[in-house]
Amino acid sequence: MNVVVCVKQIPDPATPGEMDSQTNTLKRDGKLIMDDSDSYGVEMGLQLAEQAGGGEVTLVSMAQDGETSGLRTALAMGAAKAILVSDPALKGSDALSTAKALSKAISRANPDLILMATESTDGYTGTTPVQVAELLGLPSVTFAKKITVDGSSIKVERQTEAGYDEVTCPLPAVVTVTAGVVEPRYPNFKGIMDAKKKPVEELTVSDLGLDVSEVGSSGSRQEVFEIVAADARQAGEKVVDEGEAHQKVIEFFEQLKLI
Amino acid sequence: MNFIESDEQLMLRESVAKIASKYGHSYYVEKAKNNEKPVELWNELATNGYLGVNMPSEFGGGGMGIYELAIVLEETAAQGCPLLMLVVSPAICAPIINQFGTSELKNEFLPRFATGELIMAFAITEPDAGSNSHNLSVTATKDGEVYRLNGTKYFISGVDEAEAILVVTRTSVDESTKKGRLSLFVVDTNSKGLDRQILPVEITAPEKQFTLYFDNVEVPASRLIGTEGDGLKQVFQGLNPERIMVSAMAIGAGRYALAKASQYARDRRVWDVPIGSHQGLSHPLAIAKINLELASLMAKKAAWLYDNSMDAAEAANMAKYSAAEAAIQALDQAIQTHGGLGISTEVGLADFWGSVRLMRTAPVSREMILNFVASHSLDLPKSY
Ligand SMILES: Cc1cc2nc3c(=O)[nH]c(=O)nc-3n(C[C@H](O)[C@H](O)[C@H](O)COP(=O)(O)OP(=O)(O)OC[C@H]3O[C@@H](n4cnc5c(N)ncnc54)[C@H](O)[C@@H]3O)c2cc1C
Repeated sequence: MNVVVCVKQIPDPATPGEMDSQTNTLKRDGKLIMDDSDSYGVEMGLQLAEQAGGGEVTLVSMAQDGETSGLRTALAMGAAKAILVSDPALKGSDALSTAKALSKAISRANPDLILMATESTDGYTGTTPVQVAELLGLPSVTFAKKITVDGSSIKVERQTEAGYDEVTCPLPAVVTVTAGVVEPRYPNFKGIMDAKKKPVEELTVSDLGLDVSEVGSSGSRQEVFEIVAADARQAGEKVVDEGEAHQKVIEFFEQLKLI
Repeated sequence: MNFIESDEQLMLRESVAKIASKYGHSYYVEKAKNNEKPVELWNELATNGYLGVNMPSEFGGGGMGIYELAIVLEETAAQGCPLLMLVVSPAICAPIINQFGTSELKNEFLPRFATGELIMAFAITEPDAGSNSHNLSVTATKDGEVYRLNGTKYFISGVDEAEAILVVTRTSVDESTKKGRLSLFVVDTNSKGLDRQILPVEITAPEKQFTLYFDNVEVPASRLIGTEGDGLKQVFQGLNPERIMVSAMAIGAGRYALAKASQYARDRRVWDVPIGSHQGLSHPLAIAKINLELASLMAKKAAWLYDNSMDAAEAANMAKYSAAEAAIQALDQAIQTHGGLGISTEVGLADFWGSVRLMRTAPVSREMILNFVASHSLDLPKSY
């Protein structure tokens, strides 16, 4: 079972983000870390490879300046190797440009299964995974909370608002993993020490057989015109408990049709 | 010259902090109050290989140094869980056995130090010897294939959780100097003739201290560390890592206190501004932060010197002194910042006082460090 897990390296969400006033996009110059949303896919990929009793997890990531600091954690957790797409021509990529680069990189690893997060913490478009699937001509299943491999197909428990669907899908496939559905392991000390020795193959746009006009700002169909601050949240209603607060709370929930 | 930790060291910090944060200070306090040990936290750190980071890789350890072990302790302490046995077991006992033990002893103990399965206590302090180790009165007398140990140790931490104790004894006296010649033994905790009694202390910690009574305790000669009479040199080998580890524990505790204090000072308003904007509170916190950072630099220097087989004694002593003082200052100011809540059980600061204040006294007192710096670094005459 060879699994590709796509891992996005993002600016640390704990530090305040900065926007580029020219392009209206997030600045990504500093040190990057692995998007926490991706740690669930890494964990699931590692578990599936272990359960299958063979195969490995390959990370695929796209980041500027050959940045690998956000890959080390996943390598320390147990991924075998990584493919990094890095090229100045990719600057300004939108979701589709990103999907083009990622899908080319993914196909080099020849995986049985591709895992991605449902959405990234810095971009929140949630569109890249399905675009990757489309470009690779593979089926996609979104919002997985559990994956079971059954020969050449998988059974996915797909989270919905009401509960979950059971979806069966042939392999290879692209599956997006919901955050929080597994507990990502901590890299053990051996894993930490071995991470640096694991191969990271760095590829440019032309290595992938893409033309620079297809990707980056030149290939993007999306442009951010303006950024406006979100409306400040309205103050909520305060309920002072004078003996009948529970009644007011119940009425409030009823109004919202929650009960 | 480089002040930036490696990717591996940073990842180690992050992973340990994440694990310890799942437990937190309330877990640690609950264990202490229920007379239990922090086994879940210890075991989770052990399973991930973090407790044996400084053990040689041929014995299953991480093959790194005291620097990395100090990271593990600092990060657990910063989450409010200062694991005292990390100072004693892998940092004092293990390096002494590794450097001076026979291959038999190494094979018996080092692999289990590496996995964190083995906890070993360290016993040097005695009621009548105090800081003067030359004056030890616990004796070990050779009797055929065994040694017989007699005498009393006190303040020995963690005996109830330790499988064995590394005991510093006197095997003879140097006639010309009248000083004791010391020898170290690994003594099983459940040896016949070894009794223990809890020595109550006002510290909220799961680790307990004991008085140990040795009454003709028989120890096989194979449990002697190195050559008989070489004990003082061996003890010194364990003291630098011990001081570096205590520094790390103090720095972690200080970080814990300052994190709580600055959070509270940002949120709490008594007048119409957060209390952290009053310089009467912000400046002492800033000074505490500066002193913690300075102590941390010295502790890292000491660890680096030790790991590179250079003389670390001066740096380790200076680090231990300044880290203890900085932690005490940080905790005191954190308590002050919280007003009356600083003393409450809920906030989790006042219960830390015993552990943090202890570091001015043990494992080596502030005065003995100042004596060392005065005589060793400044070439001043000794008073004793
Ligand atoms: C909670 C706790 C845990 C401990 N755990 C352990 C353990 O696991 N193993 C172990 O072996 N020991 C342990 N100890 C003992 C500890 O290391 C000693 O208490 C410490 O080294 C001080 O020694 P002492 O108590 O004999 O003080 P003393 O040596 O009697 O000193 C008393 C005072 O006199 C001062 N003083 C002494 N000589 C001089 C001098 N020449 N110049 C100036 N001032 C001087 C000291 O600084 C101190 O203030 C522990 C102690 C405590 C409280």
